[in-house]
This record gives sequence, C-alpha cells and structure tokens, in this order.
Amino acid sequence: MHSVNVIDTVVFHNFKALRNTSLHLSLFNLVIGPNGSGKTSLIQALQQLRTLSQFPLGNDMIHTRSGGPEISFTFSAPYSAVVAQLGCASDLACDFMRVESRDAAAWLKVKSRLATLRSYVLDHNAMAQSSAPVDSTALASNGSNLAAVLAARRRDAPEAFARLEAELLRLLPEFTGIVLDEESDQRVRFSLGIDGAGEPVRAENLSQGVFYLLGLLVLSFDPKPPAVVCIEEIDRGIHPRMLREVRDVLYRLSYPASFGEKREPVQVIATTHSPYMLDQFRDHPDEIVITQKIGHEARFERLSDRADLPELLRDGTLGDMWFSGVLGGVPEER
Amino acid sequence: MKVALLSESPADEAVLRVLVDAILGEPAKITPAGFRARGWPNVLQVLPAVIRHLHFNTDVDTLVVTCDSDDSPVHTEAHEAPQYYHPHCRMCQLRAVFRQTSKRFPTAHGRLKIRRVVGVAVPALEAWLLCGRDSDVSEAAWINGQQAGRLPYTRAELKFRIYQTERPSLPHEIECALRETERHRSDLRRLEYDFPGFAALMKDLKSPAQT
Repeated sequence: MHSVNVIDTVVFHNFKALRNTSLHLSLFNLVIGPNGSGKTSLIQALQQLRTLSQFPLGNDMIHTRSGGPEISFTFSAPYSAVVAQLGCASDLACDFMRVESRDAAAWLKVKSRLATLRSYVLDHNAMAQSSAPVDSTALASNGSNLAAVLAARRRDAPEAFARLEAELLRLLPEFTGIVLDEESDQRVRFSLGIDGAGEPVRAENLSQGVFYLLGLLVLSFDPKPPAVVCIEEIDRGIHPRMLREVRDVLYRLSYPASFGEKREPVQVIATTHSPYMLDQFRDHPDEIVITQKIGHEARFERLSDRADLPELLRDGTLGDMWFSGVLGGVPEER
Repeated sequence: MKVALLSESPADEAVLRVLVDAILGEPAKITPAGFRARGWPNVLQVLPAVIRHLHFNTDVDTLVVTCDSDDSPVHTEAHEAPQYYHPHCRMCQLRAVFRQTSKRFPTAHGRLKIRRVVGVAVPALEAWLLCGRDSDVSEAAWINGQQAGRLPYTRAELKFRIYQTERPSLPHEIECALRETERHRSDLRRLEYDFPGFAALMKDLKSPAQT
C-alpha cells in the first residue's frame, strides 16, 4: 500500500538527550515538550539524513563503531524495506550512512524525496532584508530570501501567488496587497499595501507576526512543496485567536485535498511551546508528540497513546492539561 | 436589544449571529467582536468575567452563550425542577454561573442584570446544522444512544457530514455552517423541536429583560 508519509520511524541511540527512544512519524506531527528535550534534535536528525542521503553510499563503518550516536530511519510504503542508518562522530556531526535495501531503485526514490526536505527557524530580521533575485528557488531556512521567493512565485506561478496573496489579505485585512520592487542594485524588496494609506508599509516596518505568517503562507501555497517540512515555533508572534488559522495553513501542506489542492501531501514536523496552539489539535491527538525529559534522557510519546485522554479533556483543555503537567512534557523543577 | 456572544469558535459565532436574528425576527444589535472560550471547561472559567465586564462596563443587555455537550449528561425536563442542579450538565452549570455571578450586582447602565441566554448543542453544533437534513440526528437520538451505551454517531462523524473533511479550513467551516443555518432561518420549529438545548436558548432570548 502506498503511504503519503515519507519517513515512517526514527530510532535514536545516544544522540544528544535522545539516548534510547524511537518515534513513528505521522503525516502531520506537532512536537511539544520542555526546552532541551529533543524537539530540535529530531529536526537536526532529519537534516542530517537529507544531507548524507545525497552523497554516494559509504561502507559499513557504522557497524565498526561502538557507543557513538546512531540514528536509524525506516520509510513508508512502498519503501518500507529501506532502512537508513546514520553514524555520528559527535552530537553535531553525523558522518556515515548505511542503507539496507534489496531494491536499489527504492532507495533512489526515497533519496530524491529526501533531497527536498527543508527545515525552518524563521527570523523576522532576516526576512525583512532585500534579497538577490537569483536566490529564489526555495525559502531559506531563516526566510532571508522571502522577497526573492515572492518575486519568483509571482513571475513563475502567478496563480499560486494570487492565492497566497488572497489568503494573506483575508488573514490580515488591514493590508491591500504585496508590493515587490526591484532596487537599483537589482535586489528585491517587498512591502505591503495598507488600507486607507498612501504608502505601502515597507518590510522593515512590519510586525514580527506578519513575517512569520507570510513565511508559513509561502510554504503552504508552494505549488511544488518539499516532501518533508520541519518548522520550529509555529505560533511565534501570532495572536492566540489566529492560531486556528496557523493550524489550517499547515494542514494545507499535509492534507491538500481538504483544501481543494491537487498535489502530493507534505509530511510536516512542527514544534510549539504554546498551550493555545496545542488546543487546536484536540480532535487529532494522534498528531501530537510529547517529548518527556527525565534527567539527561528524553523520549517521545504520542498523545493518542494516553488511554485516559477523553477523561482528561472533561476537566480542562489540552493546553491546560499540558501546562498542568498531567500530560508530561514540562520542565523539571529541582 | 444589545447582544453579546460567547462561543467556542468563529464558526459557532457566525451561526449564532444568524440564529439570534432569526429568533428575534429582526436584526439584533450584536457586538462586533464576540467573546471566545477555548472549549469546555474554559467557557465556565471565562464566563463570570464576561458577565461582570458586560454588566459594569457596557450597555449590552443580553449575553448569549453556547457550548457543545460533548459526552456530558444532556439537560432534560427533570433538570428544570425548582432547586434542581445536575453537577455535570453543562446547561445547569452555565445557568448556575450566571445566577451566582450576578446575584449581588447593583443596577448598572439601567438594568439589574444581563439577560441570560444559554444553549447547549448536543453533542456538538454540527448536530444543529444537520437538523432537518439528516433525520437520524436529534437530541433524543443522542440520549437514547447514551442510555443504550451505543452512540448513534460521533462528533467527528457529524463534522465530516457537514464539511466533507476531518480538517476543514475555517472559511470552509463557516461557509458550510452558514449554508446549513440558512435552512433554519425562516422556520426554526424543527430545530426547536428536535433540540431542546436550542429551544432553551430561544426561550431565554425571548424572555423579558430584568430591569
């Protein structure tokens, strides 16, 4: 059976705080937990997989090591027979990869999908900068080429750009449109037209939340999105009442058919520290991953594995339950 | 009548705006920004503050509150008996919050207290939306299912019947909800009959203000 997921499971052994744990990844995954509990490490592991998967396969050195960090990945059907194992010289550098697969063609297909994997920690200061038009194939990990990506999208995929712009204006009705200017140094700068005012608001004067929302929209309305997208702190800078919209923007990536899109679903791994964001997933606890940290060791749990979840939700919202500590995934106090 | 709304989502609020107008038979003066709770039991948590705010800081005279019953006990005729209070019935709980919060309010802005209007959708607002379209869906069907230990449908199923997806976007949710609400606008009798949790809201809204 063909699955829409790319990565099925990740097994960690001595990788940072992830000493001995595994995680089955769904199509959409919202990871919550205290600082230093492995949320970013999970995303780093996926980045390492992408990087190493693009090199020619190495030898079996991973099996000659002992005690060093190791990360194993399995993939979803029809590539479930493929296993990729990373060996790491340290927590920061995984330098070996071994692939177990009887089907070379299957690995090549997995590899081509992994090549598109992108991870994001958006930075509003970087996003406000003008950018060179050549730097526009995909949004940079911090969003620093936002202006160039918008210009390229308008030029190469005007329909997708129009839908992105329409969604932005629906979410932020005080604006009237995206204005793109090429400056004398050929760098692209963007601003947003504002209702009832003459001059558009230049990027450097926009609020943080506008950048983050725009960044998410650029990803969500990409006509050719990556197979896997990792995004940290999806709620950052956004008003709590807007978080339902943020959830929808991300759901558009993973469940395109629900939004009238005709393209392959994108596997999303997102993180948040917001109880209000968590509340948006009350009906889909299978999409929530909680990182539990005890001492120096962290592990993953799926919220849907909690048998008492229905009873818990009678007494409080999901976010309240998380904050209270009942769900775990809270900082240790000494 | 100046009306404020407290609901669980923008889609619920959009539906309420239409239903309030339909019940009153004329457009009500509804405050533009509705109050919002993050699901149950957050409705209970914010309600006292909303009542106090409206009473002392505004000239609103009516507060309409709705919530889903989810799998809580459904409000029945027996709960209407004098002094009766079911600790897990959401209608009883919400009415109690109104009663307790405004018990010792002094007169403000020309009224003794805010008019209480409470509705509970069994098991969720989507059931109201399906009323008249899906004959299997009614408050009685849900109560019978609870008593038999075999629920006739789940909340997720009701949502799917309305939105045709488990993950509707907010605009799609509002569009579908308003389309279904339009069926009720000109004739609320079926909704009133099949859903006593809605009938209670109607009765409250038509009750005289306490001045």
